[in-house]
Amino acid sequence: MKKKSTLSKVISYIGRYKYLLPVSIILAIITVGLTLYVPILIGDAITVIEGMIFGGGEANSDSIARIVSLLGMATVLILATSLAQWLMSMINNRIAYHVSHDVRRDAFGKIERLPLSYLDTTRHGDILSRTVNDTEQLSEGLLLGFTQLFTGLLTIIGTMVLLFVLSWQVALVVVILTPLSLFAARFISGRTFNLFKAQSEAKGAQTAIIDEMIGNSKLVKAFSYEGRANARFDEANERLAGISLKAIFFSSLVNPVTRFVNSVVYAAVALVGALLAVTGSAGTAITVGTLSVLLAYANQYTKPFNEISGVITEFQNSLASAGRVFDLIEAEEETGDGAATDVLGEAMGEVSIDNVSFSYVPERPLIQGLSLEVRDGQRIAIVGPTGCGKTTLINLLMRFYDVKGGEIRVDGKPVLTLTRHDLRRNIGMVLQDTWLKSGTVRENIAMGRPDATDEEIIKAAKASHAHSFIKRLPDGYDTYIGEDGGSLSQGQKQLLSIARVMLTLPPMLILDEATSSIDTRTEMKIQSAFSEMMQGRTSFIVAHRLSTVREADVILVMRDGNIVEQGSHTELLERRGFYYELYNSQFAH
Amino acid sequence: MRRIFHFLRGYRVDALLGPILKLCEATLELIVPLIIANIIDTGIALGDTGYIVKQCLWLLLLGAAGLAFSVTAQYFCARAAVGVVTGMRSSLFAHIGTLSYTEIDRLGTSSMITRMTSDANQVQTGVNLTLRLLLRSPFVVFGAMIMASAIDPDMAGSFGLTILALSVVVFGIMLISMPLYKRVQRKLDGVVTRTRENLSGARVIRAFCKEKSEIDSFDTESGALMRVQKLVGRISALMNPLTYIIINVAIVLLIHTGAIKVSSGALTAGQVVALYNYMSQILVELIKMANFIITMTKAVASAGRISSVLDISSSMKDGTVSEGAGSEYALELEDAALTYLGASEPSLEGITLKAKKGETIGIIGGTGSGKTSLINLIPRFYDVSSGSVKVDGVDVRDYSIEYLRSRIALVPQKAVLFAGTVRDNMRLGNEGATDGEIIEALKVAQALGVAEEKGGLDGYIEQGGRNLSGGQRQRLTIARALVKKPEILILDDSASALDYATDASLRQAIKNMDTGATVLIVSQRASSIMYADKIIVLDDGTPDGVGTHEELLRSSAVYREIYASQFEGGAV
Repeated sequence: MKKKSTLSKVISYIGRYKYLLPVSIILAIITVGLTLYVPILIGDAITVIEGMIFGGGEANSDSIARIVSLLGMATVLILATSLAQWLMSMINNRIAYHVSHDVRRDAFGKIERLPLSYLDTTRHGDILSRTVNDTEQLSEGLLLGFTQLFTGLLTIIGTMVLLFVLSWQVALVVVILTPLSLFAARFISGRTFNLFKAQSEAKGAQTAIIDEMIGNSKLVKAFSYEGRANARFDEANERLAGISLKAIFFSSLVNPVTRFVNSVVYAAVALVGALLAVTGSAGTAITVGTLSVLLAYANQYTKPFNEISGVITEFQNSLASAGRVFDLIEAEEETGDGAATDVLGEAMGEVSIDNVSFSYVPERPLIQGLSLEVRDGQRIAIVGPTGCGKTTLINLLMRFYDVKGGEIRVDGKPVLTLTRHDLRRNIGMVLQDTWLKSGTVRENIAMGRPDATDEEIIKAAKASHAHSFIKRLPDGYDTYIGEDGGSLSQGQKQLLSIARVMLTLPPMLILDEATSSIDTRTEMKIQSAFSEMMQGRTSFIVAHRLSTVREADVILVMRDGNIVEQGSHTELLERRGFYYELYNSQFAH
Repeated sequence: MRRIFHFLRGYRVDALLGPILKLCEATLELIVPLIIANIIDTGIALGDTGYIVKQCLWLLLLGAAGLAFSVTAQYFCARAAVGVVTGMRSSLFAHIGTLSYTEIDRLGTSSMITRMTSDANQVQTGVNLTLRLLLRSPFVVFGAMIMASAIDPDMAGSFGLTILALSVVVFGIMLISMPLYKRVQRKLDGVVTRTRENLSGARVIRAFCKEKSEIDSFDTESGALMRVQKLVGRISALMNPLTYIIINVAIVLLIHTGAIKVSSGALTAGQVVALYNYMSQILVELIKMANFIITMTKAVASAGRISSVLDISSSMKDGTVSEGAGSEYALELEDAALTYLGASEPSLEGITLKAKKGETIGIIGGTGSGKTSLINLIPRFYDVSSGSVKVDGVDVRDYSIEYLRSRIALVPQKAVLFAGTVRDNMRLGNEGATDGEIIEALKVAQALGVAEEKGGLDGYIEQGGRNLSGGQRQRLTIARALVKKPEILILDDSASALDYATDASLRQAIKNMDTGATVLIVSQRASSIMYADKIIVLDDGTPDGVGTHEELLRSSAVYREIYASQFEGGAV
């Protein structure tokens, strides 16, 4: 059931190239037809040779002339066959690689639309393996399928017709024995499908280990974990090897088994043909010459079965991979933006959080009954011990996750009625875990505004105090930063993330430990730029440094998913509560 | 290539038996025409139906024997192929583990992942097919040529010429496409990079509404991959038509010469038919061979990519010393400097610092001032470009790296945990740690609550620690380092996500530990280091001052500024 639906999905991808498909099929027909016809011409030439007078010299000149003309025609057809074959390969290449490109693109596009809860809980290596390895496998299978499946089928049909023309009795024997071959191929491939699926899964699991261990190889080294990492890897590797051996061995049985069926067919044709030659009556008797042609075709007839069965195993493998890619492509997406009924446009920045509850796992409630009113332009600082729900609150404001109960409104409009882009365009975010894409410094700063001019980019970089270190990089703003920020220090990465937001200047800001890796001197200098930026902008600031927090209009003190205190710095200090404790611990040792 | 043979060593028997059994099968196939000849010459000619039936039974028997041979052959080939690649992957993974930071920086993670997965798979398919066909195909091709020249010695030359022309085509295409396959794999690296990046940067990408432009940029990468694939495909697509032309033109010429020879009485018609059959046999075998060459070309390109990683040896030479000198100093840096590979300027210069056993050393300085570079020198993640680093009186370059690192525990700036239980993670640096020791470390790191919240030591942590908050992760990584019971404990800005209260109790708890460890604390916060026995202030890679808090307040302008920015209400 599953297999079939995967197949139909693959077909719908191929359907996008339907104008190429008939061409490929026509070329396949031409190729096969000519390939079958050329031996007949050669056979005719041999018949003429058989009729020649042995050592006849001049007496054979007519025969030679006839042979030359037959061979001339054969040469033309040979060239035509090659041309058709070549064009067909080109087209098949095109279809296979385009389809895998399309599938890959859809899989990647899916990554952008999956809910963050999916990305947060699925091993990245596994998604990676589906997007890259499995689509590769799909294109290999498709390519082989196209080049050999059509031609194989057509060769079978063509040969069948010729067999019937030559001797219907022998043809009948072949037809009766054919299902044997198909049955054998089916029997084996049915079993290998599951093995290939298991193999794909084992590969996915292994890729996850590779991704984790090699992605963090510096950590592995720091803890001399290499030995045990190797052991873990080897364990997965052995498991994969065991499954691979079975999958490869069973799939490679198809060829010998079908070839054995071929031998049976061949022996049967030889038996029936030879007996007909000996005992046949006038109507059914065949000559020795016909018998050799029959045997030649019997051979040719069974070859495509071999190929097809080979293709089928490869195809099974591809289908197993395709299934995994489609599982990803069809995973449940974030609730659509289609339901958006309202438009925010350029927000004022008024935020109300109304009796919101949320949890990542249902059995462990995190935020319950949280309410907060923020006027536009207000500066809100969120403080509290680790794990109190600060980051979760940001996840909800950005709609990385959606609330489980209650409502968040911006400018009075419930965020669930807005498109995510509409909401997020109004919020600038700097996270503690900085992330830069591989690309130039300039590209990274201009991420939110690709059309920004150089002056604007440099201005933002200066405001965030990133300009001075960028200047010292080998190619300045055109320095290429490798994966995950390459050799930049954590603090430098944070400065770039700040510059990124300084360039866009949206009406609302979220700063989650935005300066945690930046030294306090630089931070102080940035602070004035920050203050300027926050002027008239609703800002949510998460910070441990209470000095950053002091100037906020409202300080929220969170604990265990709830707001336990709320007020200005001086108010909260006077209250001598939890905030007071936190504040004083800054100077305690 | 040499590498593949190296890994084949453990599978010598399989790698020999596979092809040999394949040859047996091919030989059986060559007998079939002889039996058919018997049927025609004896059976049909004499009208002996019993003989015909007997010969046909022989055909069946040959088929059955062929089946037995090839099934066993397939098994051995599969075993050798899987074995080779499993071994290759395992040593590649282990080898990457031996590379130093410098090489890891240069290779890049994505590229290493492609090599371990996609490239290894290509090699597996390649080895499998090679074992199955490498001996068989030439055996059939040259066998047919020898049989043909036995019939007519004159024909040996034309058969030889045909085979030569075919080899030129086959190997020519192989040589042209080989570098292109390498390009395909390189493009694949690009696709992997984009995918990885988008998985890790999902939040930022979404926050900036960059989904569409990321898809577009992936589209470009994937499209570039597709274009190279199509280019290689176009070149390989020449293989079949060209071999077809060569063989068939050879057949046309053969029939023509044959006709003339028959006419002159040099050959019989039957012999011409036999020659024709042999040429056809070569064609059939070559079609298989051509497909096999394509796969092998890919495999060789991939094997090259794997080899190139295996060929990189760590730029760091391991030492042999596995005992300290019992010096009074746990750590001594003498005029140490570090210039990263490819960097134009040194990241560290003139660093001199001595730490007595049990002392606490603070490292402070601006963003990019070289704090992390400095501590990277101690467990020898990078080697000094000049000067020296000594641990317990011995130059770190003289220690065996494993021993050196066993004495040091580092809490990196980026708090990463592995997928697995809390216990697994805590045992990262000390495999034999008991639950009691782990709990003790969790307590010191103020992380016991975090572990309990996750369900105790058996609680599950997602890859990278994604089911924890930043501060929770940091506390667990600190505990992880403590479980190691190190002589030198390095905290690289490890408390940045901790609130001040937790940070303060953490420092207190570390101070009260009875292990007497020398502690290095890198921090942005003056409060975290001001009570250290010694503080080094870094400014742009050079020390601006070394001394106690009081000394530095007098001598270091940079330190004064930092301190003022945090303690005097921001007035500088």
